Amino acid sequence: MDDTPQLQSNSEQPLTLHTLSSIRSLLINPSTPKPTLSSILQTLTRSSQLTHHTLNLLTDLAIHHPSFSQLALDSLLTATESPTRLAVDSLASISELSFPDSFELDDGRFVSLCFGPSIPGRIWMLKNAGYLFKVRPALLFTVLLGFTKDPYPYVRAASLEGLVGLSERGDFNDVSMVKGCYQRALQLLTDMEDCVRISAVRVVASWGLMLSASNADMKAYWCNEVFAKLCSMVRDMSMKVRVEAFNGLAKMEIVSKDFLLQSLSKRVLRNEKQMEAMDQSTSEQFVTLATSVAGALVHGLEEEFFEVRKSACQSLHTLTILSVEFAREALDLLMDMLNDDSVVVRLQALETMHHMAINGCLKLQEKHLHMFLGALVDNCREVRCAERKILKIVKLNDLAMFKSSIDRLMENLDSYLQDEADVFSAFSHLGRNHKKFVGYIVKETFEEVEAAFEGNDEFKSARIAALLIISISAPLFNEYLGVIPPVLFSYAVTLLDRIYYAFSDIMDKDALLAYLCEKSRPPSYSAPNISHGEGEQQLPLIEGDTPNCASNGVIDSEVGSQIMKEQKELPSYQVEQHQSEYSEVTKFVNFILAKCPDMWQTIETGLTNEVLRSLRCLKEELSTMKFDSLGSHDALAFALLYIRIIILLVEVWEHLLPAKGSRSHGMGELEFKLGKLDRRIKELMSTFVGFSAEEELNMLELILVTYALRLCKLETICVNLTFKRLTSIYSCVESVLKERSVLPSNFVVELGKLLHECSLQFDRCLKLFSLKKFVFHGTVKHLKAELSISNNDSLHPFPFVSGLPVSIPCKIKLHNIISNCKLWLRISLDDGLVQYVFLDLDNFIGTGDVKIFDFVAPFYRTPKSNSLTLKVCISLECLFENVSPIQRYGGPKYELVPLCKEKQVYYFNVNKD
Amino acid sequence: MAIETLVLGAGQEVGKSCVVVNINGKRIMFDCGMHMGYTDHRRFPDFSLISPSGNFNDALSCIIITHFHLDHVGALVYFTEVCGYRGPVYMTYPTKALSPLMLEDFRKMVDRRGEEEQFTSEHIAECMKKVIAVDLKQTVQVDEDLQIRAYYAGHVIGAAMFYVKVGDAEMVYTGDYNMTPDRHLGAAQIDRLRLDLLITESTYATTIRDSKYAREREFLKAVHKCVSGGGKVLIPTFALGRAQELCILLDDYWERMNLKVPIYFSSGLTIQANMYYKMLISWTSQKIKDTYSTHSAFDFKNVHKFDKSIIDAPGPCVLFATPGMIRGGLSLEVFKHWAPSEKNLVTLPGYCVVGTVGHKLTSGKPTKIDTDPDTQIDVRCQIHQLAFSPHTDSKGIMDLVKFLSPKHVMLVHGEKPKMASLKERIHSELGIPCYTPANNETVSIPSTHYVNAEASDTFIRNCLNPNFTFQKCNSVDTCNSTLIDRNLTPELQVEDERVVDGVLVMENNKKAKIVQRDELLLMLDEKKHEV
Repeated sequence: MDDTPQLQSNSEQPLTLHTLSSIRSLLINPSTPKPTLSSILQTLTRSSQLTHHTLNLLTDLAIHHPSFSQLALDSLLTATESPTRLAVDSLASISELSFPDSFELDDGRFVSLCFGPSIPGRIWMLKNAGYLFKVRPALLFTVLLGFTKDPYPYVRAASLEGLVGLSERGDFNDVSMVKGCYQRALQLLTDMEDCVRISAVRVVASWGLMLSASNADMKAYWCNEVFAKLCSMVRDMSMKVRVEAFNGLAKMEIVSKDFLLQSLSKRVLRNEKQMEAMDQSTSEQFVTLATSVAGALVHGLEEEFFEVRKSACQSLHTLTILSVEFAREALDLLMDMLNDDSVVVRLQALETMHHMAINGCLKLQEKHLHMFLGALVDNCREVRCAERKILKIVKLNDLAMFKSSIDRLMENLDSYLQDEADVFSAFSHLGRNHKKFVGYIVKETFEEVEAAFEGNDEFKSARIAALLIISISAPLFNEYLGVIPPVLFSYAVTLLDRIYYAFSDIMDKDALLAYLCEKSRPPSYSAPNISHGEGEQQLPLIEGDTPNCASNGVIDSEVGSQIMKEQKELPSYQVEQHQSEYSEVTKFVNFILAKCPDMWQTIETGLTNEVLRSLRCLKEELSTMKFDSLGSHDALAFALLYIRIIILLVEVWEHLLPAKGSRSHGMGELEFKLGKLDRRIKELMSTFVGFSAEEELNMLELILVTYALRLCKLETICVNLTFKRLTSIYSCVESVLKERSVLPSNFVVELGKLLHECSLQFDRCLKLFSLKKFVFHGTVKHLKAELSISNNDSLHPFPFVSGLPVSIPCKIKLHNIISNCKLWLRISLDDGLVQYVFLDLDNFIGTGDVKIFDFVAPFYRTPKSNSLTLKVCISLECLFENVSPIQRYGGPKYELVPLCKEKQVYYFNVNKD
Repeated sequence: MAIETLVLGAGQEVGKSCVVVNINGKRIMFDCGMHMGYTDHRRFPDFSLISPSGNFNDALSCIIITHFHLDHVGALVYFTEVCGYRGPVYMTYPTKALSPLMLEDFRKMVDRRGEEEQFTSEHIAECMKKVIAVDLKQTVQVDEDLQIRAYYAGHVIGAAMFYVKVGDAEMVYTGDYNMTPDRHLGAAQIDRLRLDLLITESTYATTIRDSKYAREREFLKAVHKCVSGGGKVLIPTFALGRAQELCILLDDYWERMNLKVPIYFSSGLTIQANMYYKMLISWTSQKIKDTYSTHSAFDFKNVHKFDKSIIDAPGPCVLFATPGMIRGGLSLEVFKHWAPSEKNLVTLPGYCVVGTVGHKLTSGKPTKIDTDPDTQIDVRCQIHQLAFSPHTDSKGIMDLVKFLSPKHVMLVHGEKPKMASLKERIHSELGIPCYTPANNETVSIPSTHYVNAEASDTFIRNCLNPNFTFQKCNSVDTCNSTLIDRNLTPELQVEDERVVDGVLVMENNKKAKIVQRDELLLMLDEKKHEV
């Protein structure tokens, strides 16, 4: 606070910059004591001290210390008394302070500041006074209009800008005032300076509209007049003027059809027939103004600068609503804009078409389709998305157009997989809007769809899903369409998760499922089974006597309007999705897992094949599901693996059942399947963590079953080993049971007896096994790894010298790996040679669930050959089994479970002899 | 004072543009072109009219060349090297770079035909040494009184309009220009100026062109149809400009439609020209300038080098051949081979000079064409007239004249009847006097002359203070409107009186002076003045 006395003593001297900066630091410090502040205020307000800097400091004072703000304001106000530049600056400072009610500038002060000698100050006043302060509109108008005659172009421009602002707020009853201002702006359209012309165009647009609004009888006349004047400016040499002219055109409210059509033709239209249609005054006006209107929009669309082209497209937004005929002709031009090199322009053109479609004036013709649908394969995502947005609401007139739209959408799906969700949604809308065409499509494609489902294709292509969506969306609104075979609806059920987003604008997943079930009626997936949670909403649809979905409130609201609800914006949808997704997934996984015990009972009755088919369906559904959040992914991965194990188990179990003549499986196949089952279970045990005791027991029991099956069915040499393993797992189960004091299942009890007796009659216990219900709690995490080796493929191999070690540059990313895991890099050669490299987890960077590590692994025993292919894989040691059959020097002690797909690394020999 | 304009070429015709303007005592020659339709003395402008004695150095202050087309630059070498003009020659950088190529190409053609050579390669090189290159919007002070400035004109790369100011007289000579942008060049761009005279080209004085998009579509459709039917497409064009324009268009289309039909450029000249384009990127259109950093529009992916053997090779192809309008050279040779097949296509520009094969093809539908007394060609191929032109249409001319609003307009570089029609429009619609002199005619128009006057201190002080009044006066609306009360509405008008308050005082033997109204009264008390 040493500054304060110094300030006072030197008060007659101008303040140095150093002093000013120390004052500033005092001011912005909230804890500066009040006496200091008031002495600072005193110093600052001495009139001799007033400079630009002190104004800023006063503003700071007012902002940081509310108790002083009134005082600071007062002193700022005093500064405005003389009409100097400083006065204007201080007004500017005042405007920066936010006061509850806007500050009133009295007439005298306003006029004296505007008429002051400082030109920059005058410009500031003209531009901002109307916006920032309360000035009497009549006075403001007079001053602004007067200054449009100023010899300085920037003053003229500023006063015009002020007039634009005034038109936005003012309500002028005196027509002559409005007209006078409009006329003055017209004169300035030919000003020498670009900046004046830009503002003049804005004034012509805003005051012209005000003029037209002032007199209902003359409205059409004035609108045409303003339209023509703006059109005459689109050939200005300044790009900004042209942009402004089109911005002005976008504000037009009514324009005669002939004027609009003239703006699309560079030739002056002198069609006698047209002239007759107009009333006399309009036709007179047309003759005088036609030359300035001629071709204005064409010029705008074939502009050199994308800013102008965009603005021209934007002006069509409003203009196309004004006349149907104009809209039709403008569309021809607009279509060519889809060929524009600027994405901004393409997007704006599509946006305009969308707007036209909403207003029912998008009349697509055959000749447009090539260009129009071409946007679906545009390399810009936004353009494709905008195009689909139009397709969702457009009305196509004939089947050929509908078909080509579908073909191009399929092409879109083909080339841009990431668009799938939105393309599906477009299909759903197309189907809903063109019911009568859907029948033809269904007829043509039914066989293809049927073949895809009845056949054993593991993968249902996106095309099939899309065709299903069109088919099922057609009868959505209470109209009976006999042509859609019910079986399509049941096919659609199996793809529910993939396709439900396409309907998310009108119904949620449950409602869709209910709708599909209702339409398909086959019992395989009857509705009561799937009511998990909030099922109330769907119940009336299924059980009530209302025959179909149109009774659903959500849908009902949509029926009346042709225009579909705007689709939820994707980002917000995703946020919602993430929140609900996880619980959704858990619910879904449990729903699927809950089915297994029931199915197990069906196996006992011998219907193995049916069960297998259902299980495979479930597996398929799981494998097509994709979610963004990690948790959901883990849950799905778990469920998928679990279902796979159950499928294998069922397949093996078949061998236990009394043999049926028709089926004979060789021992080899059984052994293969048991081996696979063994591996899968180990994978389940090792690569998932976070099981609850109950879940763990469930899984251990599965392992016991596997070993028991093996001992029972395969009289192999390694009985001893398997037995050892079985015992060790059994002891695990025992300890868990003890800890949790849970009653063991019959199977475990019987197994315990057998082990105690050292008997090998495992059939006895196996008969008692039944699959328990697995309840998924959502705590399970999936351990996995991603391995990538950059810049290497079969065409671009790394070099090596035979006999010398090579390096493998690995990029490793680990998910959910905990510190007690033991990870190995398994490197194998085609001839069976395997080398293990231990991965030290301490080297990995990253906290939490994801860790990354760049690691260069050596491989030592390069062979004598021209090329070399190494298979690399990250594997996890199975620690849960403490029986260790493998004893390799330096290598892993237990069996390994792969955490990622095997990756091939290619090498070529650099010194070939 | 007057501006005297002597039209030496391109008066009521297209070819050998050359206009000599005497403006406030300075004589400037705009363009110095040759006529491609003649081989006799009519090929060059009649320079003797400038100075009967042949002393061109004193007769001319400078020569300004607008662009590198031969009908604008063709006679320059002859004039400087043979006629002996030694004064300054101005042109833009690209024009300076590309003109020698064009001139050399022409010289070779003359050589091949065995005609008398008017200038040699050395002459071209010598001539170019005299050229002073200018940049766009760069004001060049030629001498104490004479200022010139170049504005972007579109048309071809490096084409410029020239603004000239001598004392208070100002004028613009447009050369050839284009008011709509094309695939590779921007639209003409100029400031609002207070002009006494605008000399503008009027090639398309009566044509109004529709949107270029439709024309592009038609052209692409015709070419695509021809090549997919196995035909050959001949595009005779100048090496510079249209070749690039059309090639950008075709290359884009080939890329989008995934076509594999080869496109050939006929000569090294075109390939060399592409190289120049790459260097002169700042003279191209906004879009090419914007995208240049990522992809050069002149790196054509589908263009291959031409070999004579492809003329008779089977299969479809597209060939860009020089010279344009099938004047001779390769384009004529290829035309002879391809014209008899109806599968093939020849695309010709909307305008061809009289006397060329192109002109014969576009005027009427000839089935036989005599190229020289001994040769007759059967013409069965399709002819696509391509309304792509780097010249502005009549609407563009009107738009430019309207924007510049000069006191006088003069039309050159056009056909007489069409010019007359445009002249009438300019006069009636814009109220600007317009002239269309023939070759070797002189037109004189009055020029502006400002009086330099001193301003009194009071007047200056007064001018710094705004002083406007509002008047309500009856509108002088002469329109015979059926609307009843429009004429009666008083209109609000605003006047700023500070300039009006000034009074020009011319005292005997003294310089003119502007004083404030109040001052004048004081002065009148003392002396008697002429006001």
